[in-house]
Amino acid sequence: MNLNGTPVTTLAPEGTRAVVLFFAASDCPISNRYIPEFTRLRQEFAGRGVQFLEVYPNPDDTAARVQQHAAQFRDEASVVLDTEQSLVRMARVTVTPEAAVFLRDENNLREVYHGRIDDRYLAVGSERPHALHHDLEAAISSALESRPVPQPGGPAVGCAIVTRQP
Amino acid sequence: MKSKRATFAGVFIAALVLVTMRVTSKPVRAADAPVTYARQIAPILYKNCTTCHHPGGAGPFSLMTYADARRWGQQMLQVTQIRYMPPWLPEPGYGDFADNRRLLDSDLKLIQLWVTTGMAQGDSADAPAPPGYGERWGETWQLGTPDLVLKVAKPFTLASSGTDVFRNFVLPYPLKQTHYVRAMEILPGTPQVVHHANLLIDRTASFRRSHPNDWQEGVAGMELEVDAGPAFDPDSHFLFWKPDTPVLTESAGMPWRLDPGNDLILNMHLKPSGKPESMQAEIGLYFTDKPPEKQPMLLQLEDDEALDIPAGAHGFVVQDEMKLPVDVEVLAVYPHAHYLGKDLQGYAILPSGQKKWLIWIRNWDIDRQSVYRYRTPVLLPKGTVLHMRYTYDNSGDNIHNPNEPPIRVKAGNRSVDEMGHLWLQVLPVNQRPDAPDPRYLLEQAWMENKLRKDPRDSIALFNLAGAYMGEGEYRQAIAAYQKEVAVDANDPRALTALGVAYERAGDSQQAVDAYEKAITNNAEQIDARFDLGRLELNQDDGLHAEQQFRAILAQQPEDAGAHSGLGLALLKEQHPDAAQTEFQRALQLNPLDATALDGSAQLAIASGEPAHAVDLLETAVKQDGKDAEMREHLAMAYAQVGRVGDAAAQLKAAATLTPDDPTVHALLSQVLTTTGQLNDAILEQQKALHLDGNDPDGWNNLGVLEAKAGKASEAREDFEHALRLAPDHAQARANLARLQASAGNH
Repeated sequence: MNLNGTPVTTLAPEGTRAVVLFFAASDCPISNRYIPEFTRLRQEFAGRGVQFLEVYPNPDDTAARVQQHAAQFRDEASVVLDTEQSLVRMARVTVTPEAAVFLRDENNLREVYHGRIDDRYLAVGSERPHALHHDLEAAISSALESRPVPQPGGPAVGCAIVTRQP
Repeated sequence: MKSKRATFAGVFIAALVLVTMRVTSKPVRAADAPVTYARQIAPILYKNCTTCHHPGGAGPFSLMTYADARRWGQQMLQVTQIRYMPPWLPEPGYGDFADNRRLLDSDLKLIQLWVTTGMAQGDSADAPAPPGYGERWGETWQLGTPDLVLKVAKPFTLASSGTDVFRNFVLPYPLKQTHYVRAMEILPGTPQVVHHANLLIDRTASFRRSHPNDWQEGVAGMELEVDAGPAFDPDSHFLFWKPDTPVLTESAGMPWRLDPGNDLILNMHLKPSGKPESMQAEIGLYFTDKPPEKQPMLLQLEDDEALDIPAGAHGFVVQDEMKLPVDVEVLAVYPHAHYLGKDLQGYAILPSGQKKWLIWIRNWDIDRQSVYRYRTPVLLPKGTVLHMRYTYDNSGDNIHNPNEPPIRVKAGNRSVDEMGHLWLQVLPVNQRPDAPDPRYLLEQAWMENKLRKDPRDSIALFNLAGAYMGEGEYRQAIAAYQKEVAVDANDPRALTALGVAYERAGDSQQAVDAYEKAITNNAEQIDARFDLGRLELNQDDGLHAEQQFRAILAQQPEDAGAHSGLGLALLKEQHPDAAQTEFQRALQLNPLDATALDGSAQLAIASGEPAHAVDLLETAVKQDGKDAEMREHLAMAYAQVGRVGDAAAQLKAAATLTPDDPTVHALLSQVLTTTGQLNDAILEQQKALHLDGNDPDGWNNLGVLEAKAGKASEAREDFEHALRLAPDHAQARANLARLQASAGNH
């Protein structure tokens, strides 16, 4: 559902060519540091039929908390609360921040990329001054141009997604 | 023999039994008591993690509750196994540090067991009480209301993203009195983005003056140089702040000093958080009345000249070494490099040849830098050689490399430049009480080391000369200042210092020349004018001295020292009323101005108020007990009010300070005469004449004392001695005649 509590029925409305999910956690410092980068990508691909969604999968990230967080970070992305963690399973992600790219084939979504956003972090505590390879950006570009999509050059680094108790 | 062997066997078997018992007990405990949050994990977290990881703390999330620990369990496992957390760089066994934050191997194991066995809570009755950090931790002062709070002038906004930011904020010290600081606390405003901060003391406000337009917003830069001013006043404390130790309390007897006109500079390392952060740091200072009893000093090893790393170089080594001229205790160490530093070693080779490690960091990370304080001070005897050996990685393999592709990197202040410094805080020990301040010898060794690397290093030449001055080696000081003047194109400050060196060496004319040249080179050279004015006062040239002090006051009307100097000049020119006005103005500006206290006291004695003079001079002596001349003046004031015992005590103290000054002994002799201690009086007068035999008055006075003591023949010789030096000495002639008449009577 979105922040108003309305269930999100479709990730890819009419006219969408690709969907990019950015898995985030309001209390994860590395995830937070990537919000400006996610904003940058959203602006870069604006008008090219890409649906960007910020997904909060952790049980503690309630609508109120994520709303407050968005205000603090001046984050204007569309947000989905993944209350069932179905998007986590669909995208096969394990940490925040991590991203997934889907291409729309007819009425199906086909995952073409999941993994790190870039190579700034090589491991927790192992951080470059700035990223050298923008893996997610390259993946989105290739996907839109129907080229083979390059896969992440290293693991996603961040905070483990908290599994919901069944 | 037999029985002995049997005994050994018996001991051996007993030991085996113990070992077996220990082994068998283990699985039983594990099965009965799985690792729980309450019993094992909470104590580890409270001891090692929650100083930062609590609500409002510097850590990005809290670890105060079971729910928190569970939420971050996987993370905890990961970061503790690779020892990213808690942040602690030194290699165990290479330096024994207080506040060692390295987790015990047994704690690592417990965390691993707990996370992999499902993160059980256990019985919450087993958990220790959580440490209290207060509701508004990070917003309120831990030590209570500070004696002085300084706040950065304008808020600074840290951008939401990008590379780390290094910024310097200037905080002028607003008070008009000197204070000693026993503790300091920083409230950064947003603790979560502040990696660390260094506080520097800018004695001369030089950084602010060189950034007149932007100091209030803060100035970018990783390190900075400040102008220490002309006095020998070496940095002595690491004022290093990191989020888990918000209060920096100095050891007993070792406060640091703030003088009027000083600035504090807060050098901050900031990490963007993902959202814009507005911050306005505050510094809380806690004062003590007690001046320092111990004077530590910071020493630096470096070779910035050699720090020129080719692009792609893997194992580039920079080294430095320095021999200690005195015994020291090392109190703390601060290794520093930027992003290319990899392996940082500091060690000492003792005179015995033994190697003593000071610190070893195998995997340097600027983000986790710190000052490390030794659990017990490390004694290094005179003759020990300090070593720094840093290895750099300027290849693409070094993920911290700020340049992509790698480029040639030299020493510099930006984050893309490099640094290689090993700072040590040392306390000289085992000194003879009468030896000169050992810090001069340390400064000399340090500066000679710098000059070995760069003979034209003008700052090193200036500081070396300053060290020679402190040691009383004026000729060597003159030579060093002359070199500096040659290197630094007649730097007016070096010329001024050269003038002082000539003056101390007894060469007044050369001193005047140097001062005048300094003033010609820079009309605003206040120090040169001040020293020239003082020299002219010593030469009884009140008129010229007055001109110097008036020229200073035209530039700096609130300079207390110039007002009191002008007062002395006016006194020399017989204008006591005008002099009094200047002394009073000086004391308004600085109630402890020694010259003004002394001058006012002279005027008080002249106008028949010796009791007031006593008050003034007692204040001055209390402020600086090492000024022998001031003690002499106080003694004279005591004598005027009839406190001859106090007068004698002051003169004895002065004689200890300047044993080679004949005047003190002569004055003491006079005071001892009035208290009837005739033999002691004779002894002191003899000491005075031993130091300066060309004093006809002195010989005459000795003769009088000896005559009183019934030593007629000695007295006769003394009067004759006086008359040989000054044939017209009327008193000596009269005394001799009286002595002969008296001898004739007997």
